[in-house]
Amino acid sequence: MVNHRKKRNLGKWRLLIQTGAFLVILLAPFLNHYFQIDFIQGWYQSLGIGKLWFVSPLEGLESILVSKIIYLPLLIGMIIPILVALFLGRIFCGWICPINYFCDLSDRFGRLFTRRRFRRDRLVLSRKLLWYALMGEILLTLILGAPIFVFISPPGLIGREIMMAVFFHTFALEGVVILGVLAVNLVTRRFYCRYMCPLGALLAFIGNCRKLRVVQDQTACNECGLCDRTCPLGLNPSLGEGMSAYCWNCGECVDNCAHDAISFKWRR
Amino acid sequence: MKSLGSAILLVPQAASAGDLIDSPVKTNRLRPPGAVPEEIFTGKCIRCGRCVEVCPYKSIVPQDIKAGIHAGTPLIFAEKIPCYLCMKCVQVCPTGTLLKIGMEEVRMGLAVINRHTCVTWREETLCRTCYNVCPFKEKAIHLDRLRPVVDEKYCTGCGMCTHGCPITDKMGSKAINIEPLFASKSVQW
Repeated sequence: MVNHRKKRNLGKWRLLIQTGAFLVILLAPFLNHYFQIDFIQGWYQSLGIGKLWFVSPLEGLESILVSKIIYLPLLIGMIIPILVALFLGRIFCGWICPINYFCDLSDRFGRLFTRRRFRRDRLVLSRKLLWYALMGEILLTLILGAPIFVFISPPGLIGREIMMAVFFHTFALEGVVILGVLAVNLVTRRFYCRYMCPLGALLAFIGNCRKLRVVQDQTACNECGLCDRTCPLGLNPSLGEGMSAYCWNCGECVDNCAHDAISFKWRR
Repeated sequence: MKSLGSAILLVPQAASAGDLIDSPVKTNRLRPPGAVPEEIFTGKCIRCGRCVEVCPYKSIVPQDIKAGIHAGTPLIFAEKIPCYLCMKCVQVCPTGTLLKIGMEEVRMGLAVINRHTCVTWREETLCRTCYNVCPFKEKAIHLDRLRPVVDEKYCTGCGMCTHGCPITDKMGSKAINIEPLFASKSVQW
């Protein structure tokens, strides 16, 4: 039988984008510290590229909720990430977030040593936990009057640790959170991202009605179940869960489908 | 990289609840220029660290988790590296925690001379380092019969005088210190 499978390179593109995004936050502190080039500043809590500023939606929201003051530049900085999430969903998590980058790298590294292509998830909880994480986080923020996520947000912490290492030749203690998040990834793939990340939950919430979705073609599918095993979030694209709010559009299932039954579709 | 090991292995010192909630702002521990009152600073700041990255003098240091809920917020250690009022940090703050203000409007605190330890006030010698280093010489600090006097109308609390002061007493404070008086202002909602 002739294999009609189109060659897909989403995984490679994703790795490239993740590496590029990581290099930005890795090199920016060096440029800032040693060459005083402040064209690129900050990391995924607020990233400034020239005059273009991005602010992470959750951190911005917490800041507004706690201080009860609306500061226009903050809102403007949040517009682009929110629009991206609105149209493309949780794409930040899948394609940019350094935590997922490290997890992906560890997966690729692990594949070199085992014959199994996909790691099994040892601890599976209800996916709804993600929403409770978001609600709990915002509630706790409002009760304490201090934003919690801003200093334990793992994607932000990676940037802060790199900056601390470059600027002050030391690491901040809260970097332990990163190690913890990477450690639970060994138990269940993307455990933190699946069940606990409030930022991911907010992006998923915004992207619930996103345009870009993973769609399964029922006629081409032969129910091999490869997509279900390959999904790093433990979703079942074969049951149409690629359409759900939880999917982060990483394209692993699209890449791995042997029959071209799964593809990205732009919904009008 | 020696500090990598120690940073990970370092067991946090037993901190009381007060240490985790109380503001780290005190004498010579200042927020960067243009900071909103301390009451909402921790809530408004998203710890993006851009003020730290942009500061050309490395004056601004982010707090770590030992500062409790203030972890990640910027702080200036006036006696170590003072603020040189280049006003770059206020330009990059994305949240309005550091408001965009001019150099003269900065009120990080107020310089207070300890007349018991200042050698000029003790009439031991003629030192006028604070006067010489002050960016608003003759306004913020002027000499009254060769003794330095601070004018609270003009003092920005940048800490250059504290940094320059040659006197360090037994408690580790200088003969001129910055008191963050304006951090305790209340907020008009």
